[in-house]
Amino acid sequence: MSVQRRFTKILGLAAVGALSIGLAACSSGGDSGSGGGEGDLTTVGFVAVGPEGAWREANETNIQDTFTKDAGFDLKYAPATNLDQKSQIDAFTSFVDEGVDVILLSATEASGWEDSLARAQEAEIPVILLDRGIEPEDTSLYVTRIAPDNVEVAKEVGAWAAEQFPDGGNYITLEGPAGVGVVNERNEGWNESVEGSKLVQVAAQTANWSAEEGKSVTETLLKANGNNIQLIFAQNDEMGLGAAQAVEEAGLTPGVDVKIATIDGTLAAMEALADGQLSYVHEYNPLFGETALEVVEKALAADSVESYIIVPSEAFDSAEAAQAVLADRKY
Amino acid sequence: MSTDARWSWLRELIRKPFFWGLIAIVALLALNVLKDPNYLALSINPVNGNLVGNVVDILRASAPILMIAVGMSLVIATGGIDLSVGSVMAVSGAVAMVFMKEAGESGSLGAALGAIGLALLVSAVLGAVNGVLVAYVGLQPFISTLIMMLAGRGIAKVITEGQNTSATNDPFRWIANGFVIGLPVVFLLAILIVLVVGFVVRRSALGLMIEAIGINPKASRMAGIKPNGLLLTVYILSAVLAGIAGIMSVGTVMTVDVSRTGYQMELDAILAVVIGGTSLAGGKFSIGGAVVGGLLIATLDKTIVFLGISSSATPAFKAIVIVVLCLLQSERVRSWFVQRRRPPQGRMTPSPAPVKQENQEVTA
Repeated sequence: MSVQRRFTKILGLAAVGALSIGLAACSSGGDSGSGGGEGDLTTVGFVAVGPEGAWREANETNIQDTFTKDAGFDLKYAPATNLDQKSQIDAFTSFVDEGVDVILLSATEASGWEDSLARAQEAEIPVILLDRGIEPEDTSLYVTRIAPDNVEVAKEVGAWAAEQFPDGGNYITLEGPAGVGVVNERNEGWNESVEGSKLVQVAAQTANWSAEEGKSVTETLLKANGNNIQLIFAQNDEMGLGAAQAVEEAGLTPGVDVKIATIDGTLAAMEALADGQLSYVHEYNPLFGETALEVVEKALAADSVESYIIVPSEAFDSAEAAQAVLADRKY
Repeated sequence: MSTDARWSWLRELIRKPFFWGLIAIVALLALNVLKDPNYLALSINPVNGNLVGNVVDILRASAPILMIAVGMSLVIATGGIDLSVGSVMAVSGAVAMVFMKEAGESGSLGAALGAIGLALLVSAVLGAVNGVLVAYVGLQPFISTLIMMLAGRGIAKVITEGQNTSATNDPFRWIANGFVIGLPVVFLLAILIVLVVGFVVRRSALGLMIEAIGINPKASRMAGIKPNGLLLTVYILSAVLAGIAGIMSVGTVMTVDVSRTGYQMELDAILAVVIGGTSLAGGKFSIGGAVVGGLLIATLDKTIVFLGISSSATPAFKAIVIVVLCLLQSERVRSWFVQRRRPPQGRMTPSPAPVKQENQEVTA
């Protein structure tokens, strides 16, 4: 009995040991410069979101590729575990205690950051928000927020739609999960542009960002409206790609009978646009490492920076436009 | 005589645990017909002769749910639960997509078969891990399959390198989108598999042995049943069925989305099993019930979209339908109604009738 118990204990210890080694390996693997202790490097703590999808990956890789040792930075990358805000706050706090020079923050959740940001301010560490904003939006707590603007992007999509259908038409909206900030912002921008045009929204349903659900929802909505739909606004690429397949299976031609507009601009969507499956793709630009670098330098020199920097995103409205960028698309 | 026979047949049906599930499906369809009188209309696509209609869409959407619900009902009958089916779907889809992307030939039947074989093999291995943890290590099914549920998504991410992967392969696509004699392949395939599984477990002693394990594992072992091998088989079967569901699911759009494919499908499967009248306590299963449950969930999902219920109200609508259904199924709740309906009789003769009825229900 006691032997068995001791054995289990050892086994447990071994498991814990293996786990902690694994965890340590993870964190040091993410650190792009933990060994460099030279005094002339600027240390940057990056409280990141971590694995979430193609967009996020492009975004965070771009930041890591920009803040290199050659550029004079020692970037400490701390991705959240399972998109958990607590792990982000812990990482943030340890960066403050460590006394890094600058903190970059992509918050998984908007609220609950006041205390942490106040601590950083006390320690005189400038904080720059990347992509995600915080709530309440207290601009005194951070230097600036650098992000592509969802409302702006959706507004442009809406403007394109209104222009394409001067005589009006029926459209459906494929949304992300209900209640998510991005969904509300993309709806807000779209509605602002479409209001006053002759377009009629016949349905708005969530397809949870997924191609499969996008197809299933579109298939049913087409039947519910007797195929009398001329435009589909998909709030991300995946749902739009799914919708295109549903349109085809309903015996309609995407791009001719039904035009599909999406936001994000991933590689798959660009290919589909070049193929004529999609009619309009608005990029939501993840590559703003250069801008972030400039802002960090300004913040360290104590120059004034605007409180919100919008990253320009491109719109692609034809197969040719997509073809032109397809070759060197990074994400 | 003949009317008597008909009535007894009807009474038999009403007493089936999944009767209320059938009623709910009819009610949901009726709701859709109220919105659009042509809802049930089927037409034939003049180009390829396929049936087109909302009902066909429901059948297609139900296929993956049927697969995992049948697997789940067997696992639940052993007194266990399999929370990993959704993740196994993602893994199976990821394996198939990556294989076909590497193979590259878009028309090749060989590539499709290879992808399916490999996907099912990997699913079976995951199921075997579940089975070994449950049967031989003695971990609780909830915990071991929970581990696989979390690990599965990770495995899928590793396989696809975190990217949503798409591939082109016509035979593979045909499984999810094709038609045979006007009917969707995916539904025919699902029904065929359900029939085979049902036939094997009900025409042999297998089903009884699975139920015996769920009722009392110790007693069943003393009666000469070897629970370990059976448990292992059941978990492998559940994972393979989930693998098939994964293939059906990614086949519709030919894309695997590692974070969304099969997401929360384990909950749909458990719901389908419960709606079908199988108790989560184990010791009993009904393949027919699982099929009705799966069809109901597909109908419910499609109805929500067809009626245009706003996205934020969707979970509430789903919950209300399922709660009402579970209340209707509950014998206790039904007995309240029975008692309330005939109080004068009850006062005259001190209620022998309800007691008798209850007895019958128990034996049924």
